[in-house]
Amino acid sequence: MLSVLIWLPLLAALIVFLIPIKISSSKIKLTASIFSIASLLVSLLALLRYDLQAQGLQLTEFLSWIEVLGINYNLGIDGLSLPLIILSNLLICLSIYSGDLAQNTDLKTGRPRLFYGLILVLSGCINGVLLSQNLLLFFIFYEIKLIPTYLLINIWGGENRAYAGTKYLLYTAFSGIFVLAAFLGIAFLTESGFDYAAIQTQILPYSKQLILLITLVIGFAIKTPLVPLHTWLPDAYTESSTPVSMILGGILSKLGTYGIIRFGLGLFPQIWNDIAIWLAAIAALSALYASFVAISQTDIKRMVAYSSIAHIAFVILATAAGTSIAVTGAICQMFAHGLIVALLFYLVGVIENKTGSRDLSILQGLMNPQRGFPIIGGQMILAIMASAGIPGMVGFVGEYVSFQGSFTVFPTFTTLCLVATGLTSVYFVILVNNAFFGKIDCRKTTAVYPQVTLAERFPAFVLATIIVILGLQPVWLTSITNYSIVASNPTKTTVVAINPINN
Amino acid sequence: MVEMFSESIWLVPCYALVGAALALTWSPGIVKKTGSRPAGYINLTMTCLAFVHSVLALQEVWRQPIQEIRFPWLTAAGLYISFDLKISAITVGALVLITGLNILAQFYAIGYMEMDWSWGRFYALMGFFEAGLCGLALCNSLFFSYVFLELLTLATYLIVGFWFAQPLVVTGARDAFWTKRVGDLLLLIGIIALWSFAGTWNYDELAEWAAVANLSPLSASLLCLALISGPLAKCAQFPLQLWLDEAMEGPIPASMLRNSIVVATGAYVLIQLQPVLAQSAISNLVMIAVGSFTAVSASLIAIAQVDIKRTLSYSVSAYMGFVFIAVAVGANHSALLLILVHAVAMTLLYMSAGTIIISNITQDITMLGGIFGRRPVSGIAFLVGAASLVAIPPLGGFWALLELGDYLLDVHPVLLGILVLVDGLTAFSLMRVFSLVFGGQVKQMTKRSSEVLWTMILPMAILTGVTLHFPLILQQFDLLPTWANIDKTVAIMFIGSSLTGASLSALLYLRTSKSKPVELVPTPIQKFLANDLYIQDIYRLTIVSLIGVASRIFAWCDRYIVDGAVNLVGIGTLFSGQALRYSNTGQSQFYFLSIVLGTILLGLVLALTF
Repeated sequence: MLSVLIWLPLLAALIVFLIPIKISSSKIKLTASIFSIASLLVSLLALLRYDLQAQGLQLTEFLSWIEVLGINYNLGIDGLSLPLIILSNLLICLSIYSGDLAQNTDLKTGRPRLFYGLILVLSGCINGVLLSQNLLLFFIFYEIKLIPTYLLINIWGGENRAYAGTKYLLYTAFSGIFVLAAFLGIAFLTESGFDYAAIQTQILPYSKQLILLITLVIGFAIKTPLVPLHTWLPDAYTESSTPVSMILGGILSKLGTYGIIRFGLGLFPQIWNDIAIWLAAIAALSALYASFVAISQTDIKRMVAYSSIAHIAFVILATAAGTSIAVTGAICQMFAHGLIVALLFYLVGVIENKTGSRDLSILQGLMNPQRGFPIIGGQMILAIMASAGIPGMVGFVGEYVSFQGSFTVFPTFTTLCLVATGLTSVYFVILVNNAFFGKIDCRKTTAVYPQVTLAERFPAFVLATIIVILGLQPVWLTSITNYSIVASNPTKTTVVAINPINN
Repeated sequence: MVEMFSESIWLVPCYALVGAALALTWSPGIVKKTGSRPAGYINLTMTCLAFVHSVLALQEVWRQPIQEIRFPWLTAAGLYISFDLKISAITVGALVLITGLNILAQFYAIGYMEMDWSWGRFYALMGFFEAGLCGLALCNSLFFSYVFLELLTLATYLIVGFWFAQPLVVTGARDAFWTKRVGDLLLLIGIIALWSFAGTWNYDELAEWAAVANLSPLSASLLCLALISGPLAKCAQFPLQLWLDEAMEGPIPASMLRNSIVVATGAYVLIQLQPVLAQSAISNLVMIAVGSFTAVSASLIAIAQVDIKRTLSYSVSAYMGFVFIAVAVGANHSALLLILVHAVAMTLLYMSAGTIIISNITQDITMLGGIFGRRPVSGIAFLVGAASLVAIPPLGGFWALLELGDYLLDVHPVLLGILVLVDGLTAFSLMRVFSLVFGGQVKQMTKRSSEVLWTMILPMAILTGVTLHFPLILQQFDLLPTWANIDKTVAIMFIGSSLTGASLSALLYLRTSKSKPVELVPTPIQKFLANDLYIQDIYRLTIVSLIGVASRIFAWCDRYIVDGAVNLVGIGTLFSGQALRYSNTGQSQFYFLSIVLGTILLGLVLALTF
């Protein structure tokens, strides 16, 4: 049934592309929505069939494809990919739902068939990336998804979209080259083919393992991104339209961290600790650097983009630590980060759509109950507080478990990342204080802002509800993130208090 | 015996939360139809329900053994966190106090917020506050104490920023949030570290662990310093005390609760952590130093303030300083007593101040005067509150200070001196406010000082009665020290200092001579105190500017160096592409030449390698 997750969206994309031109935009959107919801339901069905207690891959599918090259159509799902699959299908649904926000640019032509079709193609590719258990199959999906993303940024983006799109394309292409080089190296040197489960890297000499691991990590670090390989991100996120930013920030950035956990930590657990300290240092640097840069941004979308870099670095920190708690924390943080960033981008998109601006020096007093957007403001406060790691929301769960897991291994870097969480509240409080608090200035805003309709509130409500529910009941999240691979490090065992009342 | 109410005690925070959620539905759309008042009434009803529930539960748990309930909250890869509730006379008593004061504050708010439109938001936040406080009082786990402290930090930000259209309110809310967040994050580091040492967050288990723990002095000190920094920010202690002063921009009913109970939450956590904190001598020393310095400096600053709310808020910091001292020397019982007495007295003082502010427009006490004749109830309430805060027998403050003082006499006589001094200074400060506001001549601003709505007077009168009877209530709970065991000289010292402070202040501020008492103090000292020891400027020059400059430098680097390098490479590629374009002449001879040259080069390379 996992194949359905890949081929259903791709088929749906084909159908959407083939819809006659006379059909109105809203019907195209409806078609795309139905297929994306179907895909979400299938992913939830996969959750139902998934045995939460068992370790390892489940619901596997295997088909011999090109035996000479060792490419097999090999799918499977485990505690690492399951939450991300659900997240990605959910966010695809919501971004298709909010597709109208993308049609609001100067390019009034819209081209809804292409837009929704490309999102569906992207959806299928992302599912493919997350499900593939064969290195080359993974790589094929990883590279194909570049095309729809590039087009989505380049056609429906903001003013500077061509620059942003090209930058994104080049960076991601380089990421792909590194990843491919590492994959080929792994497969040819170990002579064990491309199937994930069959690969034994331990047989290689230490230096070769190290080179392969570093190549792999660099490749995925571009995608994640880690400072200093991050400069494509603020441009790409800021210039793309709201639904696309939701997908970029919510899911695509997770593919980098997914790759690092799955292929870096997963294939090289023996030597992981030799690069872990460097990775943790870079993660801490990324978090602090991006937080500081975010403080001095005046464009709120750019601020959110930098905050996204800072928070994804926590995932890398926890992955570097590699203890079982830390890896669970990393997965939770990926999930939480996806939800929160998507919500933030959505709210920023609504504000931009209604006020025509994203500039902190222009926006003011949006909390005003009569002329502003009090409910959007309330949701914005919820989103930023979730991002800042206030308990009761899912962001805290992710950050806390990550930090708890990595503190025993890297106390200094964890503390630095905690400082970055503190800086999160600095820049986001600046955002709320400037844009939402204060007086709404009648002289600056020539027209009265249009009201936010109930339909436009829907995606934000869905995301906010999930953020709060999983924050109050984190067991529902942690029970599906049952992932077993940890870095093997006999010297630094963590103190694990196993409580007998393990429900 | 049926223990229906005590076993369902976890419902108490839920009532408040439900009230908050219901109040929040009074969004602008509904307000147009019903007005915003139902939000307040619903919340008040839910709070009354919570109060009744906790009173009934208190009867059940009275003199019963302590019960504990655990809810599993998170299980992940060997990490197990449960939500532990402790049901004892103390925790349920705390619930009664919290919900009781909340009823009074919310009832008071019906009058105080009468002209405001945003009842939905206001009462939702009050309900949220109440839920957080109740949860904190009940929970028996450091982890969840942290969770509730953070939620209270968030609630403080939102409620201080309630009137967000005013610039001072916005900065006040921001500073309150940032300051508390600094403390909270340090506490989080402590919590994460503590788990790797102790493997538990349950306070009882922590106490057991602390008794046998064998930490290195360095890690013990670092751990304990991280653990006290959360309460330090919450209790508005030096150097994180400024937020409380700035938070006075929020509405009075919220300030009332914040300055009485919310600050006390930090102290409450501190008291429960005392066995762990006893591990480190350095952290105890820090607590004593911070507590004493804050107590003395804050009570001096209070005397230099002219804003009625700020004069009171600094006394809060001073009293929380006492709690720090008490916990540092191990006098947990006195600390708890102090919190209780302080909460009731401070709420009453703020209620009285609120009635003054709302009918006189100004908060500046130098512009007020002579309204005792017209506003006797507020005046009496203020006097009762003041008397029960400082050591004047037989009211609550006397007993609390006496017990702590008696304890300190044996261990740290110097600290007893500080206590007596601060008691005198607080008495001076409160009497000064009373004299300037209620005594003296009627001034321009107070000419038309009318009595306020009954919804404000009634809770104030009730609380006055409660405050007067508070020692009796405490005695019922066996919380008062036994008179026979107390060193009588300590009692005399406290009474002496209170009376001296109050009468000196009355002498200076009640007389109507031309020379102003303020001239007795040199101007630099006055300014030093009136400006909060210039701490705000120190912050602005150090940490705030540091972060500001750093963020600008990083942003510049990001834009021109990191991104610049990338763009340079991009431009370089473009140029080389352009340059190559010109070499494409379109003449076939040229292409042929290049192919031949290339082949020769390749051949050379191959020939040389083999």
